[in-house]
Amino acid sequence: MLLELIFNVVLFIFSIYAYVLVGITSPAATATELGAAFWPRIILVLLAILVAVNIFNIWKKGKAEGNLKFESSEITSFFKSKIFIGMVMVIVMAFVLEYAGFMLTTCIFIMAYGRLLGQKSPVKLILSGVIATVVLYVIFQGALDIMLPRGYGFLRDFALMVETLLPF
Amino acid sequence: MFDLFLSGLQIVLTPSTFLLILAGTVVGVIFGAMPGVSASMAVALALPFAYAMNPVIAIAFLVSVYCASITGGGITAILFKIPGTPSSAPTTFDGYPMAQRGEAGKALGYSLVASAFGGLVAAFAMALVSPQLASVALKFGPSELFAVSFLGLSVLSSLDSGNLIKTLISGLLGLLLACIGLDPMLGVPRLTWGSSTLSSGVEMIPVMIGLFAVTEVLKQTGKQKVKTEEEKEADEKGTKFKTNIPGFKEFWKVKFVMIRSSIIGTIVGILPGAGATIASFLSYTVEKKISKHSDQFGTGIPDGIVASEAANNAATGGSMVPLLSLGIPGGNAAAIMMSALVLKGVQVGPLLVRTQPEYLASVFGSMLITNIIMVIVSLMVARIFAKILAIPYSILGPVIIMLAMIGSFALKNGTGDVILMAFAGILGYFFVKMKFTPAALVLGLVLGQMCESNLRRAYTLTNGNMVKVFTNPITAVIMTACVIMLVYPLIKGLLGKKKAE
Repeated sequence: MLLELIFNVVLFIFSIYAYVLVGITSPAATATELGAAFWPRIILVLLAILVAVNIFNIWKKGKAEGNLKFESSEITSFFKSKIFIGMVMVIVMAFVLEYAGFMLTTCIFIMAYGRLLGQKSPVKLILSGVIATVVLYVIFQGALDIMLPRGYGFLRDFALMVETLLPF
Repeated sequence: MFDLFLSGLQIVLTPSTFLLILAGTVVGVIFGAMPGVSASMAVALALPFAYAMNPVIAIAFLVSVYCASITGGGITAILFKIPGTPSSAPTTFDGYPMAQRGEAGKALGYSLVASAFGGLVAAFAMALVSPQLASVALKFGPSELFAVSFLGLSVLSSLDSGNLIKTLISGLLGLLLACIGLDPMLGVPRLTWGSSTLSSGVEMIPVMIGLFAVTEVLKQTGKQKVKTEEEKEADEKGTKFKTNIPGFKEFWKVKFVMIRSSIIGTIVGILPGAGATIASFLSYTVEKKISKHSDQFGTGIPDGIVASEAANNAATGGSMVPLLSLGIPGGNAAAIMMSALVLKGVQVGPLLVRTQPEYLASVFGSMLITNIIMVIVSLMVARIFAKILAIPYSILGPVIIMLAMIGSFALKNGTGDVILMAFAGILGYFFVKMKFTPAALVLGLVLGQMCESNLRRAYTLTNGNMVKVFTNPITAVIMTACVIMLVYPLIKGLLGKKKAE
């Protein structure tokens, strides 16, 4: 409930900030052109109103149920949870992809996430990582001709070498 | 009509053409089932093969790829909650819960037959009233198209009627995301904070894949625990895939859903710029609004799958109407098909149907054959995909994320969309946790630019007269329908309360 309240307050402040920003950075409307700020501003006004109503509802409900208190244990347990680790892994994968290339990123990600999901056998993890990477690579890079990221340095050279081996 | 039917069959039933259509259907279903490979991308990938063909056969081949790819998108939407094409997003709402209950085969059966039905209705509509429909579509200027997209937005009020405010907030966030990037009319950057990545706008596909697929894996990550015997049994039931096409009686129950959705899909498909995604969302919501068991939508009922799949396939037929009758492509896929014809030296335009009726006959014949063989082909492809369900989730989960990553990357061959997908997935998790509606956000993102650019164009065309924009007859009728759709849930609720009293 507290997290939801914080999210809504941040959204409310953002709506007002964006309303001002879009007005400053867009050229003024003319008699026959509504202007670049017109549509976003309509959305932002509606958003701010609805978020304000939502904040009021959360506050009212939270007060009645008494669960608007800050509990540090709830937050620390989230940061220690598998979900948070999973989120970090997904974000890291997305940022590393360009530098490490598709093959290395996919292989490591599948093994690491598999471990997070409870697979304990290292053999199974390595096999699943390697096989899934090869299958995905052959289908998308080979058959569908999607240029998957090669990475930099020796990883790029390796990817280029593998591309010459593809039968397609 | 009968002549057209015979001439269409004559073209597509010659052994070589039939084989090409069969190949196009197989390729289309597989491409459609791949996340991130949209229907237009599937047609683009098939284009080099079409260059080597006779133009009449080439258009039949490309149509088969197009129709089949839209259907293929439903397979992964049902099995993994990854919509293969954006128009399959509403299929996940009921298809995935059915698959989770161990009814994946049944859900696919409904999806495939509804797709075929929608495709056939659109094919007949195209053959029967193509010139008339196209001339009606030509009357749709910016103000009418704004009204149509607003009609799509009015769907928001019923996506999750239990959380109306949160659903509307989600939809508005989607509309706001659609504003990021260059302004559609003036080309000035908006809400980009000087970033070149944001200047190119927020793409719908990475956001959609993130919100649906990545969020689902994150949810499952939190749920992973030692399974009880009952859960293991349920899992086993889910992975055992049977070609379980529902019987005639079961289809009879959803006959009106199929007919309504096919009509909606055909009409929306004809309108330039609208397309299969809007058709499926609109049809899903209309069904939810008028259904006697609207509260069960989203829990895994056939009506939801049928509404979405019949409409998105009908839209494919609809989009061929302006292409063949007027030479105006209704969407991206139609534009690619037109380019193939132009490259072959075919004069695409209003005279094409009159002077060279074999093109209309070829498209008609191809749609008839494709929609029939598509059911068999899709079931075979679905069986292969369903085998993947038997893989332990510790392998399947990360593979789903990597598939989502490839789908996002393939869009522009850039990792910017992968980062967007990752953040969308995390946002989606918190969205679900706080009971917001991810589907509403996607809908806002889909319709945002269409809504804004048409409203602004209409305003400019009427010399700044907003009253004139809304009093245009077609616009007024559609806007009235929007108001009814928005107000109907409130009236229904009030009447329910009165009845209860």
